[in-house]
Amino acid sequence: MYPTITIGPLVLPSAGLVYIVGAWVALSMVERSAKKLGLEADATYAMAVTAVAAGFIGARLLFVVFHWPAYQNNLIGVVWPLTGGFNFWGGMLFALSAAFLYGRARQLPLKASLDAMAPGLLVGFMVISLADFLSGPGYGTETGFPLGINVFGIRRHAVQIYEILVALIALIVWWRAYDYRQYDGQLFLMTTAVYAAGRLLVDAFRANSPLTSNGYHIVQIISLVVLLACVYLLGRMATNRETRDKPTRQNM
Amino acid sequence: MGNSRYFWSILLLSLALLGIGWIAVSKEPANHDIDLSDLVEAPIVGYLAPQFTLSSTMGEEMALADYRGQPVVLNFWASWCPPCRAEVPHFQDASLKYNGQAAILGIDQGEPLPIVADFASAFRLSYPLLLDQDNAVNRQYGVAALPTTVFVDANGVVSEVYTGIINGAVLEDRIERLLAE
Repeated sequence: MYPTITIGPLVLPSAGLVYIVGAWVALSMVERSAKKLGLEADATYAMAVTAVAAGFIGARLLFVVFHWPAYQNNLIGVVWPLTGGFNFWGGMLFALSAAFLYGRARQLPLKASLDAMAPGLLVGFMVISLADFLSGPGYGTETGFPLGINVFGIRRHAVQIYEILVALIALIVWWRAYDYRQYDGQLFLMTTAVYAAGRLLVDAFRANSPLTSNGYHIVQIISLVVLLACVYLLGRMATNRETRDKPTRQNM
Repeated sequence: MGNSRYFWSILLLSLALLGIGWIAVSKEPANHDIDLSDLVEAPIVGYLAPQFTLSSTMGEEMALADYRGQPVVLNFWASWCPPCRAEVPHFQDASLKYNGQAAILGIDQGEPLPIVADFASAFRLSYPLLLDQDNAVNRQYGVAALPTTVFVDANGVVSEVYTGIINGAVLEDRIERLLAE
Protein backbone atom coordinates (compact mmCIF):
# COMPACT_ATOMS: atom_id res chain seq x y z
CA MET A 1 0.00 0.00 0.00
CA TYR A 2 2.41 2.68 1.21
CA PRO A 3 5.79 1.05 1.68
CA THR A 4 7.48 4.44 1.81
CA ILE A 5 6.66 7.86 3.17
CA THR A 6 8.01 10.88 1.31
CA ILE A 7 8.91 13.94 3.38
CA GLY A 8 10.43 16.53 1.09
CA PRO A 9 13.55 14.99 -0.43
CA LEU A 10 13.51 12.09 2.02
CA VAL A 11 11.92 8.74 1.20
CA LEU A 12 11.60 6.72 4.37
CA PRO A 13 10.38 3.15 4.90
CA SER A 14 6.95 3.44 6.47
CA ALA A 15 7.13 0.21 8.50
CA GLY A 16 10.37 1.22 10.17
CA LEU A 17 9.00 4.62 11.12
CA VAL A 18 5.86 3.07 12.51
CA TYR A 19 7.88 0.62 14.63
CA ILE A 20 10.06 3.37 16.09
CA VAL A 21 7.15 5.66 16.97
CA GLY A 22 5.06 2.71 18.11
CA ALA A 23 7.74 1.45 20.47
CA TRP A 24 7.89 4.87 22.11
CA VAL A 25 4.09 5.00 22.50
CA ALA A 26 3.95 1.43 23.86
CA LEU A 27 6.65 2.10 26.44
CA SER A 28 4.90 5.31 27.49
CA MET A 29 1.69 3.32 27.98
CA VAL A 30 3.51 0.82 30.21
CA GLU A 31 4.89 3.61 32.41
CA ARG A 32 1.50 5.28 32.66
CA SER A 33 -0.25 2.01 33.49
CA ALA A 34 2.33 1.16 36.15
CA LYS A 35 1.76 4.52 37.84
CA LYS A 36 -2.00 3.99 37.70
CA LEU A 37 -1.62 0.58 39.34
CA GLY A 38 0.63 1.94 42.06
CA LEU A 39 3.70 0.00 40.93
CA GLU A 40 7.29 1.19 40.70
CA ALA A 41 6.84 3.03 37.40
CA ASP A 42 10.56 3.46 36.72
CA ALA A 43 11.33 -0.21 37.31
CA THR A 44 8.37 -1.37 35.25
CA TYR A 45 9.34 0.99 32.43
CA ALA A 46 12.91 -0.28 32.59
CA MET A 47 11.64 -3.86 32.39
CA ALA A 48 9.65 -2.99 29.27
CA VAL A 49 12.64 -1.25 27.67
CA THR A 50 14.78 -4.27 28.48
CA ALA A 51 12.20 -6.53 26.83
CA VAL A 52 12.04 -4.38 23.68
CA ALA A 53 15.82 -4.18 23.38
CA ALA A 54 16.27 -7.90 24.06
CA GLY A 55 13.53 -8.71 21.57
CA PHE A 56 15.21 -6.66 18.87
CA ILE A 57 18.60 -8.23 19.51
CA GLY A 58 17.16 -11.72 19.86
CA ALA A 59 15.17 -11.48 16.64
CA ARG A 60 18.26 -10.40 14.74
CA LEU A 61 20.51 -12.96 16.45
CA LEU A 62 18.28 -15.89 15.63
CA PHE A 63 17.93 -14.82 12.00
CA VAL A 64 21.71 -14.55 11.70
CA VAL A 65 22.15 -18.00 13.26
CA PHE A 66 19.66 -19.56 10.84
CA HIS A 67 21.36 -17.88 7.87
CA TRP A 68 24.96 -18.05 9.08
CA PRO A 69 26.47 -19.15 5.74
CA ALA A 70 25.33 -15.84 4.24
CA TYR A 71 26.87 -13.85 7.06
CA GLN A 72 30.14 -15.63 7.78
CA ASN A 73 31.95 -13.83 4.96
CA ASN A 74 30.09 -10.58 5.57
CA LEU A 75 30.13 -9.95 9.31
CA ILE A 76 29.20 -6.28 8.86
CA GLY A 77 25.89 -7.55 7.50
CA VAL A 78 25.02 -8.76 11.02
CA VAL A 79 24.61 -5.17 12.22
CA TRP A 80 23.83 -3.35 8.95
CA PRO A 81 21.52 -2.99 7.10
CA LEU A 82 18.73 -3.49 9.61
CA THR A 83 15.87 -3.03 7.17
CA GLY A 84 15.22 -6.75 7.14
CA GLY A 85 16.31 -10.02 8.65
CA PHE A 86 14.53 -10.59 11.94
CA ASN A 87 13.09 -13.77 13.39
CA PHE A 88 9.78 -13.10 15.15
CA TRP A 89 9.92 -16.11 17.48
CA GLY A 90 13.51 -15.36 18.45
CA GLY A 91 12.45 -11.86 19.33
CA MET A 92 9.54 -13.07 21.43
CA LEU A 93 11.69 -15.61 23.26
CA PHE A 94 14.39 -13.09 24.13
CA ALA A 95 11.87 -10.37 25.05
CA LEU A 96 9.87 -12.58 27.41
CA SER A 97 12.99 -14.09 28.98
CA ALA A 98 14.59 -10.69 29.53
CA ALA A 99 11.41 -9.26 31.04
CA PHE A 100 11.06 -12.24 33.36
CA LEU A 101 14.68 -12.17 34.51
CA TYR A 102 14.68 -8.40 34.98
CA GLY A 103 11.43 -8.56 36.92
CA ARG A 104 12.82 -11.24 39.20
CA ALA A 105 16.03 -9.32 39.75
CA ARG A 106 14.11 -6.19 40.72
CA GLN A 107 11.55 -8.28 42.65
CA LEU A 108 8.65 -6.85 40.73
CA PRO A 109 5.27 -8.51 41.37
CA LEU A 110 4.63 -10.77 38.38
CA LYS A 111 0.87 -10.52 38.04
CA ALA A 112 0.68 -6.78 38.70
CA SER A 113 3.53 -6.23 36.24
CA LEU A 114 1.61 -8.17 33.59
CA ASP A 115 -1.36 -5.89 34.21
CA ALA A 116 0.90 -2.88 33.65
CA MET A 117 2.46 -4.35 30.51
CA ALA A 118 -0.86 -5.25 28.89
CA PRO A 119 -1.60 -1.79 27.38
CA GLY A 120 1.94 -1.61 25.99
CA LEU A 121 1.57 -5.04 24.42
CA LEU A 122 -1.72 -4.04 22.84
CA VAL A 123 -0.15 -0.91 21.39
CA GLY A 124 2.64 -3.12 20.10
CA PHE A 125 0.13 -5.33 18.31
CA MET A 126 -1.52 -2.24 16.85
CA VAL A 127 1.84 -1.10 15.56
CA ILE A 128 2.54 -4.44 13.91
CA SER A 129 -0.86 -4.37 12.19
CA LEU A 130 -0.37 -0.76 11.06
CA ALA A 131 3.07 -1.53 9.64
CA ASP A 132 1.57 -4.55 7.90
CA PHE A 133 -1.18 -2.34 6.43
CA LEU A 134 1.24 0.31 5.17
CA SER A 135 3.92 -1.95 3.73
CA GLY A 136 1.45 -4.50 2.47
CA PRO A 137 2.74 -8.00 3.20
CA GLY A 138 -0.72 -9.08 4.35
CA TYR A 139 -4.08 -8.42 2.75
CA GLY A 140 -7.74 -9.24 3.18
CA THR A 141 -10.10 -11.42 1.21
CA GLU A 142 -12.25 -9.87 -1.48
CA THR A 143 -15.53 -8.38 -0.35
CA GLY A 144 -18.55 -6.35 -1.39
CA PHE A 145 -18.64 -4.81 2.09
CA PRO A 146 -18.82 -1.01 1.63
CA LEU A 147 -16.09 -0.41 4.19
CA GLY A 148 -13.64 -2.60 2.35
CA ILE A 149 -10.58 -0.98 0.86
CA ASN A 150 -10.62 -0.49 -2.89
CA VAL A 151 -7.16 -1.21 -4.22
CA PHE A 152 -6.62 -1.14 -7.97
CA GLY A 153 -10.27 -1.95 -8.58
CA ILE A 154 -10.51 -4.84 -6.13
CA ARG A 155 -12.37 -4.28 -2.84
CA ARG A 156 -10.80 -6.16 0.03
CA HIS A 157 -11.37 -6.47 3.75
CA ALA A 158 -9.13 -4.03 5.60
CA VAL A 159 -8.09 -6.88 7.87
CA GLN A 160 -5.18 -5.01 9.46
CA ILE A 161 -7.58 -2.19 10.40
CA TYR A 162 -9.87 -4.77 11.97
CA GLU A 163 -6.91 -6.03 14.03
CA ILE A 164 -6.14 -2.49 15.18
CA LEU A 165 -9.79 -2.06 16.22
CA VAL A 166 -9.64 -5.34 18.16
CA ALA A 167 -6.58 -4.12 20.06
CA LEU A 168 -8.32 -0.80 20.69
CA ILE A 169 -11.36 -2.58 22.13
CA ALA A 170 -9.08 -4.64 24.37
CA LEU A 171 -7.40 -1.41 25.49
CA ILE A 172 -10.77 0.12 26.32
CA VAL A 173 -11.64 -3.00 28.32
CA TRP A 174 -8.41 -2.51 30.32
CA TRP A 175 -9.22 1.10 31.17
CA ARG A 176 -12.86 0.39 31.96
CA ALA A 177 -12.12 -2.73 34.04
CA TYR A 178 -9.39 -0.97 36.02
CA ASP A 179 -11.85 0.42 38.55
CA TYR A 180 -13.46 -3.00 39.09
CA ARG A 181 -10.42 -5.21 39.25
CA GLN A 182 -10.32 -7.58 42.18
CA TYR A 183 -6.90 -9.19 41.97
CA ASP A 184 -3.55 -8.83 40.28
CA GLY A 185 -3.39 -10.40 36.85
CA GLN A 186 -7.09 -9.93 36.18
CA LEU A 187 -6.63 -7.02 33.78
CA PHE A 188 -3.96 -8.88 31.83
CA LEU A 189 -6.12 -11.98 31.48
CA MET A 190 -9.22 -10.01 30.51
CA THR A 191 -7.52 -7.94 27.83
CA THR A 192 -5.66 -10.96 26.47
CA ALA A 193 -8.95 -12.87 26.25
CA VAL A 194 -10.65 -9.99 24.41
CA TYR A 195 -7.75 -9.61 21.98
CA ALA A 196 -7.56 -13.33 21.34
CA ALA A 197 -11.31 -13.48 20.70
CA GLY A 198 -11.00 -10.60 18.26
CA ARG A 199 -8.13 -12.19 16.36
CA LEU A 200 -10.04 -15.47 16.22
CA LEU A 201 -12.87 -13.59 14.52
CA VAL A 202 -10.86 -11.33 12.26
CA ASP A 203 -8.27 -13.74 10.90
CA ALA A 204 -11.01 -15.43 8.87
CA PHE A 205 -10.89 -12.39 6.59
CA ARG A 206 -7.15 -12.51 5.93
CA ALA A 207 -6.30 -13.78 2.46
CA ASN A 208 -2.74 -14.95 3.06
CA SER A 209 -2.99 -16.26 6.60
CA PRO A 210 -0.75 -19.25 7.39
CA LEU A 211 -2.75 -22.46 7.11
CA THR A 212 -2.49 -26.04 8.34
CA SER A 213 -2.29 -28.75 5.70
CA ASN A 214 -6.09 -29.08 5.99
CA GLY A 215 -6.73 -25.41 5.34
CA TYR A 216 -7.40 -24.21 8.91
CA HIS A 217 -6.10 -20.80 9.96
CA ILE A 218 -3.21 -21.30 12.36
CA VAL A 219 -3.69 -17.88 13.96
CA GLN A 220 -7.31 -18.75 14.73
CA ILE A 221 -6.30 -21.99 16.44
CA ILE A 222 -3.67 -20.23 18.57
CA SER A 223 -6.14 -17.45 19.40
CA LEU A 224 -8.78 -19.95 20.55
CA VAL A 225 -6.27 -21.76 22.77
CA VAL A 226 -5.17 -18.46 24.33
CA LEU A 227 -8.79 -17.33 24.79
CA LEU A 228 -9.80 -20.55 26.53
CA ALA A 229 -6.68 -20.52 28.71
CA CYS A 230 -7.39 -16.95 29.84
CA VAL A 231 -11.05 -17.66 30.57
CA TYR A 232 -10.09 -20.80 32.49
CA LEU A 233 -7.58 -18.87 34.60
CA LEU A 234 -10.06 -16.04 35.20
CA GLY A 235 -12.65 -18.56 36.36
CA ARG A 236 -10.20 -20.37 38.58
CA MET A 237 -8.97 -17.16 40.20
CA ALA A 238 -12.53 -15.96 40.70
CA THR A 239 -13.68 -19.20 42.33
CA ASN A 240 -10.52 -19.39 44.48
CA ARG A 241 -11.26 -15.90 45.77
CA GLU A 242 -14.83 -16.92 46.55
CA THR A 243 -13.58 -19.95 48.44
CA ARG A 244 -11.13 -17.84 50.41
CA ASP A 245 -13.67 -15.12 51.18
CA LYS A 246 -16.50 -17.48 52.06
CA PRO A 247 -17.24 -17.32 55.79
CA THR A 248 -16.58 -20.63 57.58
CA ARG A 249 -18.67 -22.07 60.42
CA GLN A 250 -15.96 -21.03 62.90
CA ASN A 251 -16.06 -17.41 61.70
CA MET A 252 -19.82 -17.12 61.90
CA MET B 1 -19.42 -20.72 44.76
CA GLY B 2 -21.16 -23.61 43.03
CA ASN B 3 -23.08 -21.15 40.85
CA SER B 4 -19.88 -19.29 40.00
CA ARG B 5 -18.07 -22.47 39.00
CA TYR B 6 -21.09 -23.48 36.92
CA PHE B 7 -21.08 -20.08 35.20
CA TRP B 8 -17.40 -20.26 34.28
CA SER B 9 -17.74 -23.84 33.06
CA ILE B 10 -20.67 -22.93 30.82
CA LEU B 11 -18.80 -19.88 29.54
CA LEU B 12 -15.70 -21.93 28.75
CA LEU B 13 -17.69 -24.61 26.97
CA SER B 14 -19.68 -22.05 24.97
CA LEU B 15 -16.56 -20.21 23.86
CA ALA B 16 -14.89 -23.48 22.90
CA LEU B 17 -17.88 -24.57 20.80
CA LEU B 18 -18.29 -21.16 19.16
CA GLY B 19 -14.57 -20.90 18.51
CA ILE B 20 -14.32 -24.35 16.97
CA GLY B 21 -17.40 -23.67 14.89
CA TRP B 22 -15.99 -20.37 13.57
CA ILE B 23 -12.66 -22.01 12.78
CA ALA B 24 -14.49 -24.70 10.85
CA VAL B 25 -16.55 -22.11 8.93
CA SER B 26 -13.36 -20.16 8.12
CA LYS B 27 -11.55 -23.19 6.75
CA GLU B 28 -10.07 -22.63 3.33
CA PRO B 29 -11.41 -24.95 0.60
CA ALA B 30 -9.30 -28.01 -0.18
CA ASN B 31 -8.28 -26.61 -3.52
CA HIS B 32 -7.45 -23.06 -2.46
CA ASP B 33 -5.22 -22.29 -5.38
CA ILE B 34 -5.47 -18.73 -6.54
CA ASP B 35 -7.66 -18.15 -9.60
CA LEU B 36 -5.30 -15.93 -11.53
CA SER B 37 -8.03 -14.79 -13.89
CA ASP B 38 -9.56 -12.90 -10.95
CA LEU B 39 -6.39 -10.96 -10.23
CA VAL B 40 -5.51 -7.58 -11.65
CA GLU B 41 -2.05 -6.21 -12.22
CA ALA B 42 -0.68 -3.97 -9.52
CA PRO B 43 2.72 -3.57 -7.89
CA ILE B 44 1.49 -4.63 -4.47
CA VAL B 45 1.33 -7.88 -2.56
CA GLY B 46 -1.36 -10.27 -3.69
CA TYR B 47 -1.76 -8.79 -7.15
CA LEU B 48 -0.33 -9.92 -10.47
CA ALA B 49 3.04 -8.34 -11.11
CA PRO B 50 2.61 -5.81 -13.92
CA GLN B 51 3.84 -7.24 -17.20
CA PHE B 52 6.62 -5.57 -19.13
CA THR B 53 9.12 -6.18 -21.90
CA LEU B 54 12.53 -4.53 -21.80
CA SER B 55 15.82 -4.85 -23.63
CA SER B 56 18.81 -6.27 -21.84
CA THR B 57 22.38 -5.07 -22.12
CA MET B 58 22.94 -8.01 -24.48
CA GLY B 59 20.30 -6.69 -26.85
CA GLU B 60 17.67 -9.33 -26.01
CA GLU B 61 14.02 -8.46 -25.56
CA MET B 62 13.02 -9.96 -22.21
CA ALA B 63 9.47 -10.17 -20.89
CA LEU B 64 8.36 -10.91 -17.33
CA ALA B 65 5.88 -13.43 -18.78
CA ASP B 66 8.83 -15.49 -20.04
CA TYR B 67 9.55 -16.42 -16.40
CA ARG B 68 6.09 -17.65 -15.44
CA GLY B 69 6.50 -20.89 -13.54
CA GLN B 70 9.45 -19.83 -11.42
CA PRO B 71 9.96 -17.15 -8.79
CA VAL B 72 11.33 -13.85 -10.07
CA VAL B 73 13.26 -11.19 -8.19
CA LEU B 74 13.04 -7.72 -9.75
CA ASN B 75 15.74 -5.40 -8.47
CA PHE B 76 15.27 -1.73 -9.36
CA TRP B 77 18.60 0.08 -9.23
CA ALA B 78 20.85 2.76 -10.72
CA SER B 79 24.63 3.04 -11.03
CA TRP B 80 24.73 6.30 -9.08
CA CYS B 81 22.87 4.81 -6.09
CA PRO B 82 25.35 3.77 -3.33
CA PRO B 83 23.07 1.23 -1.59
CA CYS B 84 22.35 -0.33 -5.01
CA ARG B 85 26.08 -0.76 -5.58
CA ALA B 86 26.47 -2.27 -2.10
CA GLU B 87 23.76 -4.88 -2.57
CA VAL B 88 24.48 -5.88 -6.17
CA PRO B 89 27.09 -8.55 -5.20
CA HIS B 90 24.36 -10.30 -3.18
CA PHE B 91 22.15 -10.48 -6.26
CA GLN B 92 25.03 -11.86 -8.28
CA ASP B 93 25.68 -14.54 -5.64
CA ALA B 94 21.99 -15.40 -5.51
CA SER B 95 21.73 -15.60 -9.30
CA LEU B 96 24.47 -18.23 -9.31
CA LYS B 97 23.10 -20.12 -6.32
CA TYR B 98 19.53 -20.27 -7.60
CA ASN B 99 20.34 -20.58 -11.30
CA GLY B 100 17.51 -22.47 -12.96
CA GLN B 101 15.26 -22.23 -9.90
CA ALA B 102 14.58 -18.53 -9.60
CA ALA B 103 15.23 -15.64 -11.96
CA ILE B 104 16.91 -12.40 -10.96
CA LEU B 105 16.40 -9.36 -13.17
CA GLY B 106 18.05 -6.01 -12.56
CA ILE B 107 15.95 -3.13 -13.89
CA ASP B 108 18.00 0.03 -14.33
CA GLN B 109 16.38 3.38 -13.79
CA GLY B 110 16.74 5.63 -16.81
CA GLU B 111 20.40 5.16 -17.70
CA PRO B 112 21.82 4.55 -21.19
CA LEU B 113 23.33 1.25 -22.33
CA PRO B 114 27.03 2.23 -22.02
CA ILE B 115 26.67 3.13 -18.33
CA VAL B 116 24.75 -0.01 -17.49
CA ALA B 117 27.14 -2.20 -19.50
CA ASP B 118 30.16 -0.66 -17.76
CA PHE B 119 28.52 -1.25 -14.40
CA ALA B 120 27.88 -4.90 -15.26
CA SER B 121 31.47 -5.31 -16.31
CA ALA B 122 32.87 -3.60 -13.22
CA PHE B 123 30.81 -5.74 -10.86
CA ARG B 124 31.09 -8.89 -13.00
CA LEU B 125 27.34 -9.36 -13.15
CA SER B 126 25.99 -12.29 -15.13
CA TYR B 127 22.26 -11.95 -14.47
CA PRO B 128 20.15 -9.94 -16.92
CA LEU B 129 20.27 -6.17 -16.55
CA LEU B 130 17.30 -4.53 -18.27
CA LEU B 131 17.20 -0.97 -19.58
CA ASP B 132 14.22 1.11 -18.52
CA GLN B 133 15.40 4.29 -20.18
CA ASP B 134 12.07 6.13 -20.10
CA ASN B 135 11.33 4.83 -16.56
CA ALA B 136 8.02 3.40 -17.71
CA VAL B 137 8.47 0.17 -15.76
CA ASN B 138 9.78 2.05 -12.72
CA ARG B 139 6.56 4.10 -12.78
CA GLN B 140 4.50 0.99 -13.41
CA TYR B 141 5.93 -0.50 -10.21
CA GLY B 142 5.64 2.74 -8.28
CA VAL B 143 9.33 2.78 -7.45
CA ALA B 144 9.73 5.77 -5.13
CA ALA B 145 13.19 5.02 -3.81
CA LEU B 146 16.22 3.05 -4.85
CA PRO B 147 16.93 0.26 -4.37
CA THR B 148 13.57 -1.47 -4.44
CA THR B 149 13.25 -5.21 -4.80
CA VAL B 150 10.00 -6.89 -5.82
CA PHE B 151 9.59 -10.61 -5.17
CA VAL B 152 7.21 -12.37 -7.56
CA ASP B 153 6.10 -15.94 -6.99
CA ALA B 154 5.92 -18.69 -9.61
CA ASN B 155 2.30 -17.75 -10.41
CA GLY B 156 3.33 -14.21 -11.25
CA VAL B 157 1.83 -12.77 -8.05
CA VAL B 158 3.71 -10.12 -6.09
CA SER B 159 4.88 -11.66 -2.84
CA GLU B 160 6.76 -8.76 -1.29
CA VAL B 161 7.95 -5.26 -2.10
CA TYR B 162 11.20 -4.59 -0.26
CA THR B 163 12.36 -1.00 -0.11
CA GLY B 164 15.96 -0.24 0.76
CA ILE B 165 19.22 -2.10 0.72
CA ILE B 166 18.85 -5.84 1.13
CA ASN B 167 21.56 -8.08 2.48
CA GLY B 168 22.42 -11.49 1.14
CA ALA B 169 20.81 -13.47 3.94
CA VAL B 170 17.47 -11.68 3.62
CA LEU B 171 17.57 -12.10 -0.15
CA GLU B 172 18.22 -15.83 0.19
CA ASP B 173 15.56 -16.14 2.87
CA ARG B 174 12.94 -14.57 0.59
CA ILE B 175 13.93 -16.68 -2.40
CA GLU B 176 13.86 -19.85 -0.31
CA ARG B 177 10.35 -18.98 0.86
CA LEU B 178 9.20 -18.52 -2.74
CA LEU B 179 10.76 -21.80 -3.75
CA ALA B 180 9.07 -23.56 -0.84
CA GLU B 181 5.58 -22.43 -1.91
